[in-house]
Amino acid sequence: MFVVMSEEDSGENLKDETSYKAENEQKTEELGCSESSEGRQQETVPVTRKRPEPKPPSQPAVTEKPAGETIKVSDPPAVQTGWGYWGSWGKSLLSTASATVATVGQGISNVIEKAETTLGIPSPSEISSESKDGVRGSENPAASNADAADDGSSFPIAGALEVLSTISTAVQSTGKSVISGGLDALEFIGKKTMDVIAEGDPGFKKTKGLINRTSTLSQVLREAKEKEEQQTATEVTMATEKKAHYGLLFDEFQGLSHLEALEMLSRESESKVKAVLNTLSGEKLDTLKEEMEQLKEAFSLPEFFEEEEEEKKGDEEFTKEVTELFSELHISSTPDKVITVRTSAHEWVAQFNSSLPKEEKENEENQEVESRDGDQDAKKSVEDIHAFAIRSLAELTACSIEMFHKTAALFLYGQKQEVTATDRAKSLSQLTIMLCKELSAFSKEFTTCLTTAGVKEKADVLNPLITGVFLEASNSASYIQDAFQLLLPVLQISLIEARTELSQ
Amino acid sequence: MEPRWQYQFRVIMLGDSTVGKSSLLQRYTEGIFLDTVNQTVGVDFYVQFVELEPGLQVKLQFWDTAGQERFRSVTRSYYRNSAGGMLLFDITNRTSFESIRQWHQEVTDTIQPFRMVFLLVGHKSDLAEQRQVGQREAEKLAASLGVQYVETSAKDASNVVQAFRMLTVAIYQALQTGQLVATEAWDGVKSSIPLPVLPKAQALEKEEKWKRCSC
Repeated sequence: MFVVMSEEDSGENLKDETSYKAENEQKTEELGCSESSEGRQQETVPVTRKRPEPKPPSQPAVTEKPAGETIKVSDPPAVQTGWGYWGSWGKSLLSTASATVATVGQGISNVIEKAETTLGIPSPSEISSESKDGVRGSENPAASNADAADDGSSFPIAGALEVLSTISTAVQSTGKSVISGGLDALEFIGKKTMDVIAEGDPGFKKTKGLINRTSTLSQVLREAKEKEEQQTATEVTMATEKKAHYGLLFDEFQGLSHLEALEMLSRESESKVKAVLNTLSGEKLDTLKEEMEQLKEAFSLPEFFEEEEEEKKGDEEFTKEVTELFSELHISSTPDKVITVRTSAHEWVAQFNSSLPKEEKENEENQEVESRDGDQDAKKSVEDIHAFAIRSLAELTACSIEMFHKTAALFLYGQKQEVTATDRAKSLSQLTIMLCKELSAFSKEFTTCLTTAGVKEKADVLNPLITGVFLEASNSASYIQDAFQLLLPVLQISLIEARTELSQ
Repeated sequence: MEPRWQYQFRVIMLGDSTVGKSSLLQRYTEGIFLDTVNQTVGVDFYVQFVELEPGLQVKLQFWDTAGQERFRSVTRSYYRNSAGGMLLFDITNRTSFESIRQWHQEVTDTIQPFRMVFLLVGHKSDLAEQRQVGQREAEKLAASLGVQYVETSAKDASNVVQAFRMLTVAIYQALQTGQLVATEAWDGVKSSIPLPVLPKAQALEKEEKWKRCSC
């Protein structure tokens, strides 16, 4: 996932945003809540908080104007627009996160920006303008919905930019190594952000650590997981900690192992490709290089760009599309596991949503006298939702990576090729987009559940949970995209083999 | 959530196609037996926790490799990071028994300078009437390879837990005696605690226990 956004990109994004504005507003009425509303709410409504009502007529007598206003401004601009168009996802996610946690920890937006700078943006001035664009990009739709004055104060732009200039100079000296390690750096955004929230450490220690990294993705993840394991060992008392550790869960679902195995296949193929290229010269080499270039293009970002923004897919649609795309690969394997995981998670969310009206009544009854028991119940359910969300993200990601690993193995050892490597790459890139879109849809649904269930929660309880879901979803998407990239050398080998078959 | 573990051993399943590597693992880790199992593609993963002695949790991470020849060059790259290897043959399939030496040799050569603790497993012991490989013969091969031998059946679950325990104990003992050394650069063994050195007597006692299991 790339955070750096060209002007063209942001222009495109803005267009999308405008065209979806109407829909956003509508959705806002339905969902009526988001993580950014929490941030604002804390400024405007420090004490009382009420879950926005899904049905306006059922709005009880206890009117809360501030809450009502919050509903209006509450559509998560970045979320609504970035979702679906995967290329901007990382970006929007990050600005969303900064908005979300602005009230929780001053540090977080800076950290996110810091992490962004480690992706290889060369000069301080550029970083500033980039990030301005980015923030503005996600802010605009909000501005059109809310009044502008409110907007300025709710986003921590000034603070972020101020810190940015300091950061960028610090990062500059190590700029080159950062660029090559861009992907690795991205995976760390989530983890590091959370680290900083936890430790309140605004220093560069962490970022510097990841800059020097040369290890593979699975190594990085394994280290992160092992760290988490150590942490959980010392903090066993905290139920949420234990239940909702993405890294541990991802490993439990064998995501790490499949990733490691996929990396092995990828590395092996890579060295084979090099060996073959070394034996060729002249015209043969040129032709092959050209074909490999075409193949590479199928792996590049612009390919994803063609995908139009779509409405949320129904269960059947997703199943059908994934199955179709997968069958285009012509391998003796199915994406059943991914589909099952995805379907059951959606069922969970649907069940949660259908159980809402009941809960609402209970809440109304308890509204005046908020018993401690009631508070505890709400807290528990928020944590349950969070745990389930993290678990689902980890499982879907692990299954996706398993799918890619199996695909790679079959590509390498399939006998006859009925499809060209480039066609396979195209199908796979479509699959990758679909999976990433799913992840973003998931995070949206889960955070909606969280905000709905956690209406009585304090921001410092709810916001980290919401941010956690968004960040892990973003992480998940980058793992999947990395796994997809690992397939390139594998398909290069198939391409070379197909050519040899032809010439024989 | 998984229990906390003191050790993680990576174990690789080896042997010809259709000898029942995946079935044995499914019986062991999930307690199930399916008459038809999908052919393994590349490698699959299983996890099982074993309490070797009270308070000593070991996480076994299995790399269930495809036995098919066409996957061989892939599976080869998985050998290096394994602490244990289960060499499986099908007692009703003579050829699979005859491949064992080759499997053992290939792995031993590939993982140099590292070592691996092996266990020879004669699988499908429930099909005794179709037996093509005698127990004595298999024991002889095991002895010549310097490994232990056990006969198992995923179908009737006989000796399954024992077999995995034998291998786990053997790996653990290899660690105690320094035959295997857990290092940063090698993923075969992970330890969340510093390696304890057992008193000799205790080690001997354990060895006896394990001998009783293996019969």
